[in-house]
Amino acid sequence: MILGLDVGGTQTDAVLVKDGHVVAHGKTVNGADLLETLDTALDQVLSGVDPKEVRRAVFSTTLATNAIVEDHLEPAGMIVSSGPGMDPEWFTVGPSYHVVSGCMDHRGTEVTPIDRGAVMNAVSAIKRQGIRVAGVAGKFSVRNPLHELMMSQWITDSFSYVAMGHIFSGSLNFPRRVATTYLNAALHGVHHSFVSALEKTLTRRGITAPRYLLKPDGGTVSLSGSYRFPAQTAQSGPAASVMGALALDGCRETALILDVGGTTTDMAILLDGVPLCVPRGITLGEFRTSIRSLLTRSLGLGGDSRVRVDDKGCLKIGPTREGSAVAFGGPVPTPTDAMIVLRLLHAGDLKAARRAMEAVAGPLNLHPLAAAERILTNMAQTIALSAEAFLYSVNSRPVYTIHEVIECARVAPTILIVLGGPAPMLAPYLAAAFNLPYRIPRFHDVANAVGAAAARVTTEVTLQADTQRGTAVIPEAGLEIPIRRDFSMEAALSMAREILEKRASDEGASPDELDFAVTEKEEYSMVRGGARVGKNIRLKLTIVPGIAPDWAEKEQC
Amino acid sequence: MLSAKRKTGLVFFPAFDWSVSPTHPEREERLLYTQDQVMEEGLLDLDGVVEYRVRPATYADIRRTHFCVPDEAAVTTESHLIAAGGCLVAADAVMKREVDSAFALVRPPGHHAMRVVHGNRGFCNINIEAVMIEYIRDVYNVRKVAIVDTDCHHGDGTQDIYWHDPDTLFISIHQDGRTLYPGTGFPADMGGPNAIGSTINIPLPPRTGEEGFRTALDELVMPLIERFEPELIVNSAGQDNHYEDPITHMNFSARGYADLTARLKPHLAVLEGGYSVEKALPYINVGIIMAMAGLPTATVKEPNYDTEYEAQTPEVDKYVDQTISTVRKQFITSQPPPDINKDGRIIERRRNIFYDTDMIQELQTERIRRCRDCAGALWIESSSSRGYRILAIHVPRWACPACQKQARQWCESVPAKTYDKVYIQDRTKNSYTVI
Repeated sequence: MILGLDVGGTQTDAVLVKDGHVVAHGKTVNGADLLETLDTALDQVLSGVDPKEVRRAVFSTTLATNAIVEDHLEPAGMIVSSGPGMDPEWFTVGPSYHVVSGCMDHRGTEVTPIDRGAVMNAVSAIKRQGIRVAGVAGKFSVRNPLHELMMSQWITDSFSYVAMGHIFSGSLNFPRRVATTYLNAALHGVHHSFVSALEKTLTRRGITAPRYLLKPDGGTVSLSGSYRFPAQTAQSGPAASVMGALALDGCRETALILDVGGTTTDMAILLDGVPLCVPRGITLGEFRTSIRSLLTRSLGLGGDSRVRVDDKGCLKIGPTREGSAVAFGGPVPTPTDAMIVLRLLHAGDLKAARRAMEAVAGPLNLHPLAAAERILTNMAQTIALSAEAFLYSVNSRPVYTIHEVIECARVAPTILIVLGGPAPMLAPYLAAAFNLPYRIPRFHDVANAVGAAAARVTTEVTLQADTQRGTAVIPEAGLEIPIRRDFSMEAALSMAREILEKRASDEGASPDELDFAVTEKEEYSMVRGGARVGKNIRLKLTIVPGIAPDWAEKEQC
Repeated sequence: MLSAKRKTGLVFFPAFDWSVSPTHPEREERLLYTQDQVMEEGLLDLDGVVEYRVRPATYADIRRTHFCVPDEAAVTTESHLIAAGGCLVAADAVMKREVDSAFALVRPPGHHAMRVVHGNRGFCNINIEAVMIEYIRDVYNVRKVAIVDTDCHHGDGTQDIYWHDPDTLFISIHQDGRTLYPGTGFPADMGGPNAIGSTINIPLPPRTGEEGFRTALDELVMPLIERFEPELIVNSAGQDNHYEDPITHMNFSARGYADLTARLKPHLAVLEGGYSVEKALPYINVGIIMAMAGLPTATVKEPNYDTEYEAQTPEVDKYVDQTISTVRKQFITSQPPPDINKDGRIIERRRNIFYDTDMIQELQTERIRRCRDCAGALWIESSSSRGYRILAIHVPRWACPACQKQARQWCESVPAKTYDKVYIQDRTKNSYTVI
């Protein structure tokens, strides 16, 4: 059996999955203590279950997100080297940020050596502030990691943990590399104590199976692997739902996922079962990072959104949530009350719900039932408008080759996959607003926890080979490998593949889930003075988000 | 978070799957390192910098500007249409006030492409700036446009297209034509009889550095633009004046380009040439984008700037000053004398045009109606070494009734069987007819 757990904003969902079926599920209202909440949620699904039967446990937590958003980051020192271009002082982050001289160019050629004296002065300054963790980041370190490696080596004894930029992501973006490195350093301590406490909790329950955390790209990383990059476990909630839709529905065609919750509705797009990712990386609070993430859009509109009529006589739904529905003792009318009045939902106090609808219907000169109907219609139309804007932004993404300009079809959904508690009640309204057919997977109300349970390990490696320089660089592995002038794309592919497999198994992938995609593959002739002087090969191999092989048959509902 | 002081649009189209030929300067690799540098700088993450997706231009867009012989399909590929379309996207962003200015970082370039196109000249088939400007005139009803061409080569194609147009101020700063392709662009070339003084050529000697360009900008370009009062400033932002460029002999730098952009403040910049793909382009382009966004650019310089860049020599100083004072006298302290021909007179000129990339010889006879009220009706007979013989009649965008009548007379009196094709481009109606 697989255990899946998703900590949301207000509640935690847990499921136990056997052969693709949810055999137990539970919802827990979040308390102040994350571990206690997890413990309660585990109690709900594991009572009477032999812990030996759990083969895998996956957790999607809000720990890193909360630490960032609530500013509970441990102070971390940063030492960065850059070179020409944007002034590195503009990317200052944390309480002790130091720029040292040293420069690599875009091909990974050292322009200015790194200044050891300046690095050691920075270390003293950081230590004087009583800071115990640090990060090092260099411009173009993904083309040549030498400077970061040297800095890290010089300062490693002075700190309990040193984060490096190049091993986290092979993508080019220095400001994001700085921010991500800082977050990995600043979250290290809190992540470390959480993971060891979680380990203890699981061991105490006799669960010895491999355990994982979910990442915002819909992939998993083993608990032990997560120590290297704690920041990449932030903001995994929306990805959990997308993976749930994928596991429960398969999401053929162009599917628009709509996860309707209490406070928000999350949207995502899957093209024949492959989710779209954000360009460049996710933004966490004030930090623009290079953390891979699925592309999702959140709208402040859910089953418990506040419904009111403004002074112009317009019906307004959301974006705030004042509490639960009036039918459940909440303070203000909500779409959930509308569903109860319309007998779409048989729960709560019907009389109270009707009173709530009357309060809305009065100023609109409508019958309470008509008002309820209008609330749900409006809600669906608002979601449809927001989805249209989301699709517009997806379709206006820049492309850089003729082939893509000519061939790239516009993304246009052909099916809605509706998830969340209110899904069955709201789906017909959504179908009308979008003019699209819909499907509601089974277990739609715990799809997020199912998604965590079903997700597999994801990872990627970047390789850039420059036959004129005679090097192949794989930043994620911190490698610079000498190559011959006749180094070929085939050789590059097999080299990258070997590293990818190693990296995947470090992150907890089993050997049978290593199907990767080549997400970037480019080869340029380098010409100087009219003659070819070498080849520039660029590769990215990615294990894309997908369903783990031990998840049973995919089901169509 | 750092944000741009001025909203800047960016249209990036490196055409990573197109080249003139595998080892040609205009090849796949050209914007590779520029893309690397722009991505690594995180320029696209700045608040106020917006990246737009390109769209291909249509043949209808090309037909506002060019006569393509035998037709558009024969002289353009997808890449040319996308490069031109990239400029249209940049224009839309600026004209719709989504951004203050925009930079179309596209290839292949265009400023050597003339009004009549038989093939590729100087790596160019389609004049992407001219296609963009005529689009802006039609869609956004703009009339007066200034073009400042800072490519190292004389922008002879753009000059040709706007030679007769008094509503377009064309200023080209370039390496002296006696020392570099295309061998034209001298101060004596000031525009056609209806547009004298709207073409300004500033030929600078080889090894001109930052100082020379600054002088040219302060003493000539800025005062000329101020006097012309354009609604729109377009920069043909070629980058081959750089001291590292392999096919030119100038001594300009990334910092110089950034300063020039910051002072010129073009609404639209369009990439033209620039072939030091690795040592110059990445830094120049980052500098231009930062300058457009209103960010300080003191930290932008080539890695080898401190060791390789040498300031202008005194003799170059002297020569530049001389050239600039000559051109100042010609255009600023005094005015070029007006054309002495009477209104309504037809003035003829004959030209040989060589297409260096495609090895085509074109022979042109051009007739323009002398007119004080508009750019003048234009009649062009063109034959090429590929065997085409065509007639092209152009009615300018704001043609006066007399010039419209003249164009009609020309159309009615085309001798039978003389030409393979007769093209009529009536800009007053935005119509394009091929007979």
